[in-house]
Amino acid sequence: MNLARFPAAAAVLCAAVAAGCGLGPGEDSGEVELTISRDYGATVLEQRTESIDESDTVLRVLDRSADLETRYGGGFVRSIDGLAGSQNGGRRTDWFFYVNGIESPVGSAEYDLSDGDRVWWDHHDWTSAMRVPAVVGSWPEPFVHGFEGERWAADLRCRAAASVCDRVSAQISDAGAGPSDRSDGAITVLVGVWERIRSNPDAGLLDEPPSESGVFASFAGARRPLLTLLNERGEPAGSLGRGAGLVAALRPADGPPTWVVTGTDRVGLTAAAGMLGDDLSNHFAVATDGGGPLRVPLR
Amino acid sequence: MRPALAYRPGRSPLHRASPGAAISYLGALVAVGFVFASPLVLVSVGIALALAGIAAGAKCAVAASLRLAVPLIVLMVLVNALVTQRGDTVLVRGWELPVLGQMDVTLESLAAGGRIGLLVAVAVLGFAVYSACVDPDRVLRALRPVARRSAMTAGLVTRMVPLAVADGARLHEAAGLRGPAAAPVGRAELARRLVESSLDRAVDVAATLELRGHSLEARPQRERRPSRDDAPLIGTAVLIALAALVAGLAGGGGFETYPQIEVDAGPATLSLCAGLVLLAAIPFMRAKIKRVALSRTLASTRPVRWWGWRARG
Repeated sequence: MNLARFPAAAAVLCAAVAAGCGLGPGEDSGEVELTISRDYGATVLEQRTESIDESDTVLRVLDRSADLETRYGGGFVRSIDGLAGSQNGGRRTDWFFYVNGIESPVGSAEYDLSDGDRVWWDHHDWTSAMRVPAVVGSWPEPFVHGFEGERWAADLRCRAAASVCDRVSAQISDAGAGPSDRSDGAITVLVGVWERIRSNPDAGLLDEPPSESGVFASFAGARRPLLTLLNERGEPAGSLGRGAGLVAALRPADGPPTWVVTGTDRVGLTAAAGMLGDDLSNHFAVATDGGGPLRVPLR
Repeated sequence: MRPALAYRPGRSPLHRASPGAAISYLGALVAVGFVFASPLVLVSVGIALALAGIAAGAKCAVAASLRLAVPLIVLMVLVNALVTQRGDTVLVRGWELPVLGQMDVTLESLAAGGRIGLLVAVAVLGFAVYSACVDPDRVLRALRPVARRSAMTAGLVTRMVPLAVADGARLHEAAGLRGPAAAPVGRAELARRLVESSLDRAVDVAATLELRGHSLEARPQRERRPSRDDAPLIGTAVLIALAALVAGLAGGGGFETYPQIEVDAGPATLSLCAGLVLLAAIPFMRAKIKRVALSRTLASTRPVRWWGWRARG
C-alpha cells in the first residue's frame, strides 16, 4: 500500500508509533506478589511471585496463576480454583482483592499493576462488613509502593514514649517508606495508648461496628479500656484487658489510609509496636495479649 | 424495482402457512441464537435461517441481509475492541488516554465483539426472511382483533424497512445518473437524505394503511381453515425448542470470552448445531417430498386418466 496515497492512514500510523503503540503485551515491568487466601487470611491457598508486563492487570495476573470463573463480562470474579462466592443461610461470601493493602475502587480487570505491588485475593463472609477498605497484611505496603502507581509518605503522629515512637519510625523507614508522589496527603500512623488517641476522628472509628470501621475489633471504655475482638460474623469472640494491643488500618475516605498502633495500656502499646513487621503478614488486623499476634477477626 | 426485503408472494411452506406458524418457526430459530452464547450455535442458526430463506425463494432477502450484517459485525468488533480492554491476550498495546484509560486491544474483546455482531446478524437474517416470506397484511389481519395499534405499528415497520432500502437504491441510482462531471455523493450524504425523508414516507404508509381501512374496528372474520403447512412449521418450532432445552440441560452451547476464550465444542453443542440445520429443513423437505410424490403419481396415472377421459369422451 502506498501510504502517500492515503495521508490519513499514514498520519494514524505515525501517531500510533509516536504514542508508543506496539504489538503484544508490552515489555516486562517487574514482579508482583500474589496471595490467595480465604476467611480473612486464615488459610493461605497460594502465595507466589509473578512477572508482569506493561499491560498486566490484577485479573490477568490472577488468571495466569489460578483457574478463574468470571461474571458480568469478565469484570467480576466469581470463583478461583473452584471456590466460588455464595449465599447460604443469609450469609454472603465473595472474593475481594487488595493491592498494597488497599481495597481497590476499580475492578480487577481495570487495575494496572506496577513493579513491587502486592495483590491479595481473599474469599470471605461480608455480611457483617460489606467493605474492609484497608488491611495491614500486605506489610510493608502501602508504605513502599503506595497505591495505583503513586507513593505516599508516612506521617507519624506519636503520642507515646520516645522509645516506642522511635521504634515505630525505624520500622517504617527500614521497610522502605519513601517520599510522597501524591498531593493528597500521607499515610497517617497514629501511635499511642487508646485513651490518648481515641479523640482522633479516624481512630474514633474503632468505637464503631465493623460495618463502619472495617475492623473486627473495638474498644470500650476510656480509663480501663477493653479491647473486644469479633469473629467473622461480627459477633464478640473475646475481650482483652491489660496488656492488649492492636494494629489496624482504617480508611474513612478515598485518600491514604490511617494506621493505628495502640493498646489498652503502655504494655499493650509496646507489644503492638513490636508487631510491625512479619507478624502482620496476611492478617486484616492484628491484636495481641502479650503472648503473640492474634489474627483479627477471630475464627 | 421491488426491494429485496419486501414481501414476495410465493408457494413455499413459509408463504402458505399462517403468520403465527411462520413466526413460531423463525422465532424459535432466532430465540435459540439469543439463548446460547456460543458462536458455533449462532453460526448454525444463521445457516439454518439462510437455508430456510433460500428454500422459500427469498434468496435476494438473504443476500441483502448478509450485505447489511457483515459491516455490522465488523463495526461491533471494532467498537468492542476499543471500549473493552478486558481479556488476557493483549494483541496491541494501545494508548493511555486521559478519560478512557489504557486502550489495549485484546483477542478476547475482538471475540466478544464478533459474538455480538453474529447475534445482530442472526436477528437481521431472521427479520429479512420474515419480511420476504410472511405477508404483512395477513399479520395485520391476524393481530387486529388482539391489538389494533400494535398491529398497525408492526405493519408500518415491516413496510418501512424494504421501503427505505428501495429509496436508498433509487437515491444512489439518481446520484450515479448525474453524469461523470458531477461531484461524488458519499454514503453519509445518502443516509442523511434517507433519514430526512423517512418521516414523510412513514406518514405516506400510515395514510395508505388508513385508506385501506386498517384504522377501523376489526370486522368479524370468517373462520379460516388452518393451512396444511402450519403443523410442520409449528412442530419444527417445538422440536427446535426441545433440542435447545436438551442441549442446555446437557451443558452445551457454553462460551466464555473473559478472561480467556473458552468455546464449548462438546457433543451437546455440536449435536445442537447439526440438529438446528436439519430441523430447520424439515418443513421444506416435507414439501419437496410431497411434490416429488405428487409428480410421480401424476406421471404414473396420466395415461390412465387420459385414456379414461378419452373413453368417457
